Amino acid sequence: MTTAIQAEHLTFGYGRDRPVLLDLSFQVQAGTFLAIVGPNGAGKTTLINLLAGLLRPHGGEVRLEGTSLRSCRVQDIARKVAVVRQEFVPAFGFSVAETVLMARTLHYGRFGFESKADREIVRQALELTDTIEFASRPLGSLSAGERQRVFIARGLAQDTPILLLDEPTSFLDLKHQVKIYDLLKSIQHQKGATIAAITHDINLATQYCEETLLLHPLHSHPAPSPSCRIGKTSEILTSEEVERAFGVRVFSAMVGNDRFLIPVGTRAKGSGL
Amino acid sequence: MLLVLVMLLCSLVGPQAISLKAVVNAPTNPTMPNPDYEIFVRVRVPRIILTALVGAALAGAGVIFQALLRNPLADPYILGISSGAGLGAMLAIISGIGWTLWGRSPVAVFAFAGALVTVWLVWGVGRIAGKYHVTGLLLAGVVVNAFFSAMIMFLTSVAKSQQLYATIFWLMGNVTEEDFLVLWVGGGCIVAGLVGLFFLSPQLNIISIGYQDARSVGVPVERIELAAFALSAFITAVAVSLSGLIGFVGLIIPHAVRLVFGPDHRQLLPLSCLAGAMFLVVADTIARVIVAPAQLPVGVITALIGGPFFLVLLIKYSRKVYWLA
Repeated sequence: MTTAIQAEHLTFGYGRDRPVLLDLSFQVQAGTFLAIVGPNGAGKTTLINLLAGLLRPHGGEVRLEGTSLRSCRVQDIARKVAVVRQEFVPAFGFSVAETVLMARTLHYGRFGFESKADREIVRQALELTDTIEFASRPLGSLSAGERQRVFIARGLAQDTPILLLDEPTSFLDLKHQVKIYDLLKSIQHQKGATIAAITHDINLATQYCEETLLLHPLHSHPAPSPSCRIGKTSEILTSEEVERAFGVRVFSAMVGNDRFLIPVGTRAKGSGL
Repeated sequence: MLLVLVMLLCSLVGPQAISLKAVVNAPTNPTMPNPDYEIFVRVRVPRIILTALVGAALAGAGVIFQALLRNPLADPYILGISSGAGLGAMLAIISGIGWTLWGRSPVAVFAFAGALVTVWLVWGVGRIAGKYHVTGLLLAGVVVNAFFSAMIMFLTSVAKSQQLYATIFWLMGNVTEEDFLVLWVGGGCIVAGLVGLFFLSPQLNIISIGYQDARSVGVPVERIELAAFALSAFITAVAVSLSGLIGFVGLIIPHAVRLVFGPDHRQLLPLSCLAGAMFLVVADTIARVIVAPAQLPVGVITALIGGPFFLVLLIKYSRKVYWLA
């Protein structure tokens, strides 16, 4: 087993004296499906951006497949890792197919046009994400869930050994939530890809991800120690850990061999449990 | 092809009627004086080539600025090129400089310098204001534009009427007959700039979506953005110093082409250049003949005929206009 993602003493902050991530170190083996969970403001998206080389760490470094990102060109990073992000600003009415094709920009020929192989990769990505039926429609005319699948398709079309996703299922209906996770799982198995996804659905993480990274916000009181835990999902996502991290009570139930956790508010029907 | 045809037809239209037959026959017996041929080669053709180049440069630069600023309202003048060039031209006119450059008036040189200094200033301020956000750049452009416009207005209010007339004519945008030297130098710069931009256009698609999106698919955004800004500011400055401030072409032609042919920059850029060239040649032809023997500034015509034409396009293709929603 080789190490796909390695963070060494990673430190980053947006302002002075207010680090978001402090001295974070962990490793992810190649071919792992990792869930990244944690409360709002814990630095999950920041971590993804650091791992993808979109932000430069203030301290420490990221290694992908053994190579430090500090010594990598943007083009080389993009061959190793693809990112599916949350934000989207519509611009200029690009169609779904055109948007997904942009993932192949790096591979265009000398005159800036895609090859047949590029088109085939795009077609497969569109098919896998159920977006091929509206491939020619402008992105702005889609619902949020449909658009999210288009961006997942763009991530797949980049055809990288590492795939990072920032809440890939936040706008999706139940069927497509499960379908996307099934799809990610099959990519993990077929291509041996390493996948890391931020999610707030800890039960999807339990079902699909072998490992989980739990991030605590640095500025919470009392200061968490350690600020990050990584390990087998079943060992990380326990009732105690989740209650401590998110500050809610959870109801825990075993289904088959897996432990599922349901948050319970103080006024909810089952709060007497 | 269409562009060549339009250019040929327009070159035959003018206050002085000339016949194509006479022009074509002229080289066969060079001894006979042939006024049609003289007008065609020395007056019409240089002017029409110049007009086409300016139109192509403005439309092409418009496409690039809209993509880089991720803003459909951007045009080649948005970063202050217009007011910088205008101020330069005005300084040259009202200072009444006596010297000439290779026997030519220094107005174009001053305008060119003014445009480049302004863009450099705006770029510098914009980069400091926000590294990843184009809003800083846009705001810097708007403010510099307003500041230089105010200086132009101040100079206008103290200028003599003779100089005022020349300035206003320049500000309205005006193609004139130029000699072949200017044509070669200016045209060479514009064509080289556009070819360079064409090689950047594949990356512009993803850059127009966003900075981080472009980075994550492996586009070195800073380098491409700097090159595209520099090239498009350069060709705009060349165009402006050749023909004054011709409005509308750089804003509307990219939109019209995008409405009809879609937003992919790899075809949007060349098609916009062709459309911009054709549009400006036609507009200039109208400007030459409509009040003959006098001439209108072409900047007046571009908006007068371009405005209604664009509205028709907008209504016809309104189903496709999602980025306006």
